Amino acid sequence: MNERHELDLSDIQGNVVRGYPRYGFPKARYVFYRINDAAAGRAFLQRVFPLVTSAAMRSIAGATGAKARPSATTDVAFSYAGLQALGLPEASLRQFPEEFAVGMKARAAILGDDGPSAPVNWDPIWQDAEPVHLMIAINGANDDAIAGRYDQISTFVAQSAGGVQLRKGHRAAGRDDMPYQEGSALYEDGEATPKEHFGYVDGISNPYFEGCGAHDSAVIGGGKLVRKGFGSELAWAPLETGEFLLGHKDEAQEIAPAPKPALLSTNGTFMAYRKLHQNVSAFRDYLEAAGRDYPGGQEALAAKFAGRWRNGAPAAKFPTQAEADALTEQWHQAKLDVERSTTPEARHAAAERLSKLNVEMVDFHYNDDLGGTRCPIGSHTRRANPRAALEHGQTMAFETPSALSNRRRILRRGLPYGDSSTPGSDDHGIIFMALGASLERQFEFVQQQWLNYGNDFRLANEKDPLLGNHGVDAKGAPNGRMVVPAGEGARDVPYFCSKLPRFVETRGGEYFFVPSLTALRMIGAGSVDPT
Amino acid sequence: MPNLNGNAYGLTTLAPILNRDPNERSYATMLKELLDALPTGEHSPMAAVPETYLCRFFVLDNVVYQGLDIVKALPLPVPASHDRLKSAYLAFTANFHGPDLDQYLWGMWDAADSTIRQIWKYCVGFEQVHDAASFAKYLRRCQVETTFYFNGSTDESLAEQLKGLYLKQELAKFAFDNQGKNAEELQAAFFDFVRRTQPEELDGPSWRAGATSLERAVIGEASPEALRAATPGTPSGLRPTAKEPVQQNVGSAAVTQ
Repeated sequence: MNERHELDLSDIQGNVVRGYPRYGFPKARYVFYRINDAAAGRAFLQRVFPLVTSAAMRSIAGATGAKARPSATTDVAFSYAGLQALGLPEASLRQFPEEFAVGMKARAAILGDDGPSAPVNWDPIWQDAEPVHLMIAINGANDDAIAGRYDQISTFVAQSAGGVQLRKGHRAAGRDDMPYQEGSALYEDGEATPKEHFGYVDGISNPYFEGCGAHDSAVIGGGKLVRKGFGSELAWAPLETGEFLLGHKDEAQEIAPAPKPALLSTNGTFMAYRKLHQNVSAFRDYLEAAGRDYPGGQEALAAKFAGRWRNGAPAAKFPTQAEADALTEQWHQAKLDVERSTTPEARHAAAERLSKLNVEMVDFHYNDDLGGTRCPIGSHTRRANPRAALEHGQTMAFETPSALSNRRRILRRGLPYGDSSTPGSDDHGIIFMALGASLERQFEFVQQQWLNYGNDFRLANEKDPLLGNHGVDAKGAPNGRMVVPAGEGARDVPYFCSKLPRFVETRGGEYFFVPSLTALRMIGAGSVDPT
Repeated sequence: MPNLNGNAYGLTTLAPILNRDPNERSYATMLKELLDALPTGEHSPMAAVPETYLCRFFVLDNVVYQGLDIVKALPLPVPASHDRLKSAYLAFTANFHGPDLDQYLWGMWDAADSTIRQIWKYCVGFEQVHDAASFAKYLRRCQVETTFYFNGSTDESLAEQLKGLYLKQELAKFAFDNQGKNAEELQAAFFDFVRRTQPEELDGPSWRAGATSLERAVIGEASPEALRAATPGTPSGLRPTAKEPVQQNVGSAAVTQ
């Protein structure tokens, strides 16, 4: 009972450890500010501070021991310019990594933000030469909870008498001066779903790290792969905390240098915020056209693109649609049984079944599918998290089988935005947030080397079919490509997807520092002292 | 074996740059300016030099000070002696299809003698160079042994490698462009492909040496009109018979490796 948790979850912001939508907060409002006056900015932070949600999942306002569940959550993050504007000491500022200091726009070439994704096409707030300083993310169970929290914070803004200023300029509903970015789960029959606009169940697999407080079973699929004894059989183990939180041991078995003083960085992390437009009509058109020729049709091709069926079943484990559908049917049944069970015993049994099925969704690697006959090597989820596949079947190539992936993992957060019921319209996509101890080593590397290039997978310059920044030929026609390897049948042949257009375009974003609650308090108090 | 890895030769040469009155612009500075202005990629004068996989020029100003020295008899490290070069050096390194260094250097003189004169004229002893033979002799005197280097080639001649890269790209295009055609159409398209790309002709269509962009890489393809005017039918070197049907499925390995 009195055992000390490995991590002080009450010192870590909630969004770092928990994906809110899966905890009953399917709505969000992302709000950005400029600090015009350092003292007023710090006073504002002091007012906001009691509202900030910790990973211990109780707002600090109610921290008198009550574990009351908040109706809305609040997370705070700073851009480099924001830390400057709040008067952080120069000696501390200089120790922040370069990519964070220059910001996302300056990294466009590395991120592949070119053509329609180039910063000149971003939402006005992100195009502006003047960077945003402060981000406040509000998640809530419903619109009212969010509006309530937003109004509360707006009062503090008003009290700052111009010291803190709302930054407008988000595009939505045909306007480009919206005061904030909204996000929302997509609803079906009044129920929030975990799907995104292309129809895939999203956010299934997230890293599991030492001390994160999630259920032990989440290590399966979420952790790293290790060898059982000296054999080729693989097992799961938690990733080191330092991959996701500063001031802790990481996968290189060291505590990486971080800005001083230690209290400023420990339990904090970095975050890439991205607004990603999804070309839903282009995606549907392509699937429909190519799906006519592709054996198995549109759904099978969609699964080859993502490495998961649209219902979430991993293609590496469930190569046919029938198997994938059977899995989700069982899952829905188990969920219903949990909800409707009348006795504790029945409920327990159903919950056990549900938890086993959840494990089925993530408990796989590619060592028995090295050629990608089930899950193509170039598919989105296999690229973004190759698990042990970068050993390319060479057992004992590295100390741990997933060594080349372990340092490239990212915590993925976010929600869809907009409405794609009129798919040709231009305002729907996903607000994507990638969190990790190093933007350069994790988010940027995955984006540059694994999504927009293929060399590590021996796929030459092929890109991620879904997220790759596919280009155009001399005549302006899309020229993205993907080879879908032949299936397992004797008569199966490879399928060549050519003329892939860019399905996902960047509409803006920035790099942020997500401080611990201690650091947030210190920044607000102006007491950060690196000496 | 030093200098040679398979047929890939690793050449390293260091030529001392002439010293000059310190009140005048140094030759090392002038040489840096000249090297910086050399065109690169397919426009590089070195792209015309036969069998060059890659090459690099740079000016070595001095050696780096190594800091403290540990002397066994003394309790603490002492400042190391500070080595300095008597002059700056022009370094020229190349990877090429060997194994014959003289043959390469003769070829280099024949293809780029004016560039060679422009560059090495700032170096000690270059006044003795007046033809391919004396250039080869000069660079051999400047050569230092290359003992460990990365050989990123397939060990074939440059022409073979360029043709291989060209064919790989074109075959990938062919696979993407002709998916789903029936055997007859596919065979016709493949014959067109063979006529266009001439796989066995090293002097036929290929990639340009030094090319840095796919769009500008291809050279030597006949115009579409000329290809259409050519006699249709089986291209020479290909004699498919009823017993040897044309393979319909182009393996993914062929286009992704």
